[in-house]
Amino acid sequence: MADETTFDTREEVDFAIIGSGSAGGILAKELSTAGFSVVVLEQGPYRKAADFTHDELSILVRNELLGGGPEVHGQTFRHYENETAQLMTQQSPIRYSRGVGGSSVHFTANFWRLRPVDFKERSLLGSISGTNFADWPITYEELEPYYTKVDWEIGVSGAPGPFDAPRSKPFPMPPMPIKSSGVLLEKGAAALGLHAQAEPHAILSQPHNGRAGCVSCGYCMWYGCEAGAKSSTLAAMIPLAEASGNCEIRPDSTVIRIEINDKGKADQVVYLDINGVEQAQKAKAVVVSANGAETSRLLFMSANAQHPDGLANSSGYVGRNLMFNAHALSIGVYEHPLNDYKGVQVSRIVHDFYETDEKRGFYGGGGIDARPLFSATPIIHTMLGRDPNTPRWGKGFKDTMAHDFSRTLCFVGSTTSIALDSNNITLDPESKDAWGRPAIRATYMDHADDLAMAAFLEDRTAELHEAAGAEKSWRFGFHPTTGGEHLLGTCRMGDNPATSVVDSKHRSHDVPNLFICDGSSMVTSGRGQPTMTIMALAFRAADHIKTAANAGEI
Amino acid sequence: MILGPDEARDFAAIAARIIPTTDTPGATEAGVIHFIDKAFAAEMSGQLDFARAGLAELNDALGSQHTDATQLGDLGEDEQDAFLQTRETTGFFNLMWAMTIFGFFSMEKYGGNRDQVGWELIGFEGGHGPWQYPFGYYDAQVHGETNDGG
Repeated sequence: MADETTFDTREEVDFAIIGSGSAGGILAKELSTAGFSVVVLEQGPYRKAADFTHDELSILVRNELLGGGPEVHGQTFRHYENETAQLMTQQSPIRYSRGVGGSSVHFTANFWRLRPVDFKERSLLGSISGTNFADWPITYEELEPYYTKVDWEIGVSGAPGPFDAPRSKPFPMPPMPIKSSGVLLEKGAAALGLHAQAEPHAILSQPHNGRAGCVSCGYCMWYGCEAGAKSSTLAAMIPLAEASGNCEIRPDSTVIRIEINDKGKADQVVYLDINGVEQAQKAKAVVVSANGAETSRLLFMSANAQHPDGLANSSGYVGRNLMFNAHALSIGVYEHPLNDYKGVQVSRIVHDFYETDEKRGFYGGGGIDARPLFSATPIIHTMLGRDPNTPRWGKGFKDTMAHDFSRTLCFVGSTTSIALDSNNITLDPESKDAWGRPAIRATYMDHADDLAMAAFLEDRTAELHEAAGAEKSWRFGFHPTTGGEHLLGTCRMGDNPATSVVDSKHRSHDVPNLFICDGSSMVTSGRGQPTMTIMALAFRAADHIKTAANAGEI
Repeated sequence: MILGPDEARDFAAIAARIIPTTDTPGATEAGVIHFIDKAFAAEMSGQLDFARAGLAELNDALGSQHTDATQLGDLGEDEQDAFLQTRETTGFFNLMWAMTIFGFFSMEKYGGNRDQVGWELIGFEGGHGPWQYPFGYYDAQVHGETNDGG
């Protein structure tokens, strides 16, 4: 392996990239391998594959990969803007993995493309009053080559389904094999006239690009992959960026401000190093890929005389239009053991309800998948996945656990979220995080149509259990969303600088050498699995940024 | 040991009613009290005062309901269950419940789940992967016919 490349902070690099996750990791690889000098500032540590464990207590209870819980991050939540946001004591409302690779390290790796309809629903369906429902400034056809790039360079396994968008190249490898939960979804779907299809995964079903295939350990969701088979940017992109000799990954670097010079251009990124000492990295251009919540916070924290409401925020759209994707689910227990804790979470999905159907009476669509979800490991099963109509302790509890754990599966519905002014990320006026930064404040109440769509899908998940022959099943119980992992829409792309933060090439409307690319760029939410699209956007953004840089336009 | 012998005995007794020993091992055999002791000495040290205050309240209630008992373990198992049912909505019981679950099902290195008895009880072989298909009854029907399932 080449010696690690490092840059002096006073040396002006071509690009400072903030965040090393799904978007930042791809941008780092694309720009550095094209010959540009790149420093990636990542607030979390640099864990390698060998650092990942199967330790449920550490990962799920003690929030190891999230870098701690509410005591560290101080995030607050409220449903409505006229309420005072409260510190969440059990779980942070905004959840992402802190470390090189970002949330692509701990994601479940369900990799759905958007479809052509997702990019132009506003035109097709009309406006939705009181919302910021809009078309994207790009089409599926423009993004398709980059979806294909994700398939082949990041590594996606799968097989075509009956409703899929057109693809220019087949999947590079077959789907992960079907699991018992997938067999039961197929059975239920067939009985109800629905169409189960193989789940596309950012998990290698066989060796690819020098990486090993999945060993089916079962620790995908919320865990890091020690085999490197999960297609995180840590596994698929960062090594290529580092091998270019042009990229320094600088972990434990907590960015607090982007500074603008008197020409109105971003010229350095100020951050706290691992010792809490303030440093500043000079760069010709800055790319923010910190996720929909952190990107917004950083732009607000970078407010200055020229940008009093936050950097790149002349539209007032920074932080707005937060979309989480709602989820509704039912849990079922079957006669025979499934042992669904083994292998990847999902092997079959149903996309019959993807598109908006006017007969339903509301906007929205979604997908349903079959997975162990909370029954992948014992503690979370006990806390969330267990039959709530059985004893919580004593012999009855023990007997139920002994019977149900291996026989339990979830049908999970994931839905659209509509962009609203009133759903947003702002700086909390009181709470601070452990670095002294204003804490992230999330304000969120699902739109009535989002709630209706979640209820609709919950009904379908309950029907599927019945049709699949569950011994017993129950609804998990859907409530308005109080947080999430999908952090979308908060710096949306658009052609009109009055109603968007970045243009269709991810350049901010207000600061010519500031680019923003991550979940915040998304104009609509898709149907619940956004990371494939975030990665495709990053490959596409990188092409445009390279072109601009080569033309001297940064 | 951060816990004194009396409080350790009480915490262990509560854990043993949450996951009792039956024809299969329970919290006692899993060594849940060792998890609790280690956790109160480290990651959960901030909860120790709360737990001690909760235990004192529980013992007060025990003394007023059972004048012949000074510790939970002095009662028969059915009496212990009946008494704990009067306490099960308290924050203290919820903490004991969570710690018992953690101690019974977390990795052995944390002090409980000895010989992985917690995992064995529920048929979780999570410490033994990776796995070959088929995993369960239903996919075995499919993988018997095709190899890739796709």
